[in-house]
Amino acid sequence: MIAFLVKRVGQSVIVLIGVSIIAFILEHLLPGGPAKAILGGRASPFQIAAFNHANGLDKPIWEQYFVYTGNLLHGNLGRSYKLNQTVNSVLATDLPKSIILVGSALILSLIIAIPVGIFQAVRRNGIYDYAATSVSFLLYSMPSFWLGIILILAFAVNLHIFPSEAPQGQTIGAIITNPRAMFLPVITLTLVSYASFTRYMRSSAIEALAQDWIRTAKAKGLSQRVILFKHMLRNALIPIATLVGLSLPSLITAGVVTESVFNFPGTGFRFINAANTEDYPLLLGIIIVIGVMTVVGNLLADITYAVLDPRVRYR
Amino acid sequence: MPLLEIDDLYTNIRLKQGEVKAVGGVSISINAGETVGLVGESGCGKTMTGMSIMRLLPASGYIASGKVKLDGRDLVAISEEEMRAVRGNDIGMIFQDPMTSLNPCLTIGSQIAEAVALHRKVKKAKAMERAIEVLNLVGMPKPQERINDYPHQLSGGLRQRVMIAMALSCEPKLLIADEPTTALDVTIQAQILELLDSLKDQLGMAMLLITHDMGVIAGRADRVVVMYAGKVVEQASTEEIFASTNHPYTEALLASIPKMDGSVARLYSIPGIPPDLSNPPTGCRFADRCRLASDQCRDNEPPLVTNDQNHSFACFHPVGIEANHVKITLKVEAEEIQRIEHADRKPLMVLEHVSKEFDITKGAILQRKAGTLKAVSDLSLTIYDGETIGIVGESGCGKSTTGSMMVALEKPTSGKVLFNGEDLFGHKPKELRLIRSNLQLMFQDPYASLDPRMSVGTIIREPLDINKIGTSQEREKKVISLLSEVGLSSRAVERYPHEFSGGQRQRIGLARALALNPKLIVADEPVSALDVSIRSQVLNLMKDLQRTHGLTYVVISHDLSVVRFLADRIGVMYLGKLVEIGTGYDIYENPAHPYTAALLSAVPEPEPEREKTKVRKIIKGELPSAINPPSGCRFRTRCERATDLCAKEEPPMTSFGALHQAACHFPLISKVEIRTGAAAF
Ligand SMILES: Nc1ncnc2c1ncn2[C@@H]1O[C@H](COP(=O)(O)OP(=O)(O)OP(=O)(O)O)[C@@H](O)[C@H]1O
Ligand code: SF4
Ligand code: SF4
Ligand SMILES: [Mg+2]
Repeated sequence: MIAFLVKRVGQSVIVLIGVSIIAFILEHLLPGGPAKAILGGRASPFQIAAFNHANGLDKPIWEQYFVYTGNLLHGNLGRSYKLNQTVNSVLATDLPKSIILVGSALILSLIIAIPVGIFQAVRRNGIYDYAATSVSFLLYSMPSFWLGIILILAFAVNLHIFPSEAPQGQTIGAIITNPRAMFLPVITLTLVSYASFTRYMRSSAIEALAQDWIRTAKAKGLSQRVILFKHMLRNALIPIATLVGLSLPSLITAGVVTESVFNFPGTGFRFINAANTEDYPLLLGIIIVIGVMTVVGNLLADITYAVLDPRVRYR
Repeated sequence: MPLLEIDDLYTNIRLKQGEVKAVGGVSISINAGETVGLVGESGCGKTMTGMSIMRLLPASGYIASGKVKLDGRDLVAISEEEMRAVRGNDIGMIFQDPMTSLNPCLTIGSQIAEAVALHRKVKKAKAMERAIEVLNLVGMPKPQERINDYPHQLSGGLRQRVMIAMALSCEPKLLIADEPTTALDVTIQAQILELLDSLKDQLGMAMLLITHDMGVIAGRADRVVVMYAGKVVEQASTEEIFASTNHPYTEALLASIPKMDGSVARLYSIPGIPPDLSNPPTGCRFADRCRLASDQCRDNEPPLVTNDQNHSFACFHPVGIEANHVKITLKVEAEEIQRIEHADRKPLMVLEHVSKEFDITKGAILQRKAGTLKAVSDLSLTIYDGETIGIVGESGCGKSTTGSMMVALEKPTSGKVLFNGEDLFGHKPKELRLIRSNLQLMFQDPYASLDPRMSVGTIIREPLDINKIGTSQEREKKVISLLSEVGLSSRAVERYPHEFSGGQRQRIGLARALALNPKLIVADEPVSALDVSIRSQVLNLMKDLQRTHGLTYVVISHDLSVVRFLADRIGVMYLGKLVEIGTGYDIYENPAHPYTAALLSAVPEPEPEREKTKVRKIIKGELPSAINPPSGCRFRTRCERATDLCAKEEPPMTSFGALHQAACHFPLISKVEIRTGAAAF
């Protein structure tokens, strides 16, 4: 188990170094380099040279990379010249809100998808199974912005049950204390990830239920409930743990889209704005942070996997 | 009153179209403490009968009618809730494959304890104590420590012990054992059967032993029930059924099993295949394959009648009763039994000190070498033109690896393989291909080894195409002639493998192997995926083809009776080493190596008297790992005769007769001095 963890962490570090190199190269590939991006198209060559010298951009490229990663390791993501704020302080206000949005959607979708998937597996090819399958296919085929707009039209514009906009406060408090306004964005994201989770849960449960050891458990006289939740569930969750890890990037992408559909003041919203205003340091800062979170998420998924599956743990 | 009484049971399984009548009116009774053996070919409804008793049928299966009375209570009629209290408590069940029958995510202790906690209504800690107790009972070494192990940490034999412990934890009155040893090696099979027998006596329970192996039945069952196509065809005490068989099916089944004493040169084979149970024939279901069938049999169903010996059978023309229906006699033709004179033969293939090691790696990304698995170690063997060599041994002993090196599929780590005096691996790839056409491999699994998307004609023609032999018409002609040689009609050319039965597919495999007129065919477990009656057809065919084509065979099998039937000389392997080699007589009647003797005594034979009285030398323990084999003699960890010398020095191959050699410091028979000239193996 320890060896397994060490290996996993090692791999994660390698991936992160890769992410930082790519982000660094992207920043330097920009036409005219960071200086032009920051000072604007009309900056004179003299201004650019002065800026480059002031920011160490005239040093050899590898030296710049070490300075850059050194800063990253100290948690310093650079400075947004457009907002005249450090990237760190921008993320410090935005990121927790996005985590709450995506995290609650992830948890909620698992809470719904796992039991529904099991139910479908037990009653497979029955009427409920077909109904649930149709629903998840429908959701699966729908882009998240489209789903968000439909929900706004239905619940905000027509029925007036929920507001069409996410809570607008700057603090986390403002977000948590307004669950009504949080409802539609969270549900949009939940439905998007629910669709694939439930399909996987169904097939993984069907596979587990067909195993010989399920027959052994029945031959012991165990009840259906014990067989499902003690014997089957754990085995069926093993592939789901991997799936959750793998689907983090797409969940985050959907989060970005959802935030802009609902005007949610989170990192995704900020990301779109930064792209529109060509605020490259902020853009890259966000990419690095999302990269780190994805890698950590995958690591957690692998650890869950190992906890669930003794064949991985004892190797 | 019997403990269990199955009365006219009908069980069906719904299909997309129609229904399989898996069990068609079966009545069986089992008394307390009695072992009843249920035998028959694959698909005859044995498992479904067992599952009907437990009411654990597949989702699409149901009991159409009939009663299953346990102590007078009809299990078919009670609620699911009441049935759950019976399962695991009054009736325990163990299944065929211990590798897949345990939950990989739960410890073995908790899997046993949960049954105890459920039925005995005790706390978890108490249930765990009981789990240790039963693990001890089934001979699990150090149960206290093993209790927290997960199934994948145990070998197959130990897992089957866990299964048994689980089934017995609540001391059921009846144990249903469905092929409990089919997936295990003979030596482990002997351990498990012995264990079941002694536990049955200790706990005074009854047992329904489901198996396709007549040998297992002969030694363990008090009474035998023979099923065919969903029906009971014959039923009697074990001695009675073997000594005075009445039903032609039972008789044919027994006659198709090769004998361990090598006394038959040809096997009886039942023509055809069992009927399709979704549309069973009217009249006697065996009529299409029965040598005694009459019109009466095809129109009417024979009733199950019982005579005064409590022997019942369902047949209009029972064997041995009507005067003109004599028993099947298997004539031994002098010409065939004649053993080959090896002095006249020339060596075809020579293995010189051949070893094969595989690297074992750990880790997915950074693959570190974690050791080497010594699959075959320093093996020397000469194969003579036209003979059949058998290679036997437990799984993992290196049989198949040896076979792959003989057909140049695997390159030895050291040593030489000489074919007609030339080193197989000293050639350029092009020359090797030419030589390879002389060496063919016949696979174990007729299902997996034929490409399902290729027609049978294409499959057989492929080797000819690849080697560009003859014109297109000549190739077509050759395919047809090969098909007729293996007993298939020329119409098979356009059909696909899935349209054929297992035995027929194995014939297709043989036809393909023969296409290039090879000299040597290595048959790796040629019949182990086949049913007894089909098996005998393929075995007879292999013998015929050898004579007509002048083939040399290497037959690899874990089944000692198959090897005895086919082979002139037999090599015994243990953990990568050839430990003994000799003629069939040398090995089976006069073994020198303790392992050979133990292996032989572990094989159950279809002869009740012999089986029930035989003193079994059961090999204890498990096969050691081939990564770290024991020093000196590799068998010493399980050998009764082992001494310090065996640990220190590896025993050399010594001669016990002209063709008989073994490697043991303390052999079971005395060595002989060999006259010069003959000891060249
Ligand atoms: N799940 C299933 N669906 C459809 N048919 C089935 C199913 N299981 C078994 N059958 C059919 O029921 C019949 C009896 O099968 P059963 O498994 O009892 O045979 P068996 O005697 O135990 O054979 P084996 O020696 O191969 O274990 C066969 O014709 C088989 O094809
Ligand atoms: S009834 Fe007829 S067909 Fe059936 S087994 Fe007897 S002799 Fe053969
Ligand atoms: S050499 Fe020793 S341990 Fe090996 S088989 Fe002979 S007696 Fe047994
Ligand atoms: Mg079966």
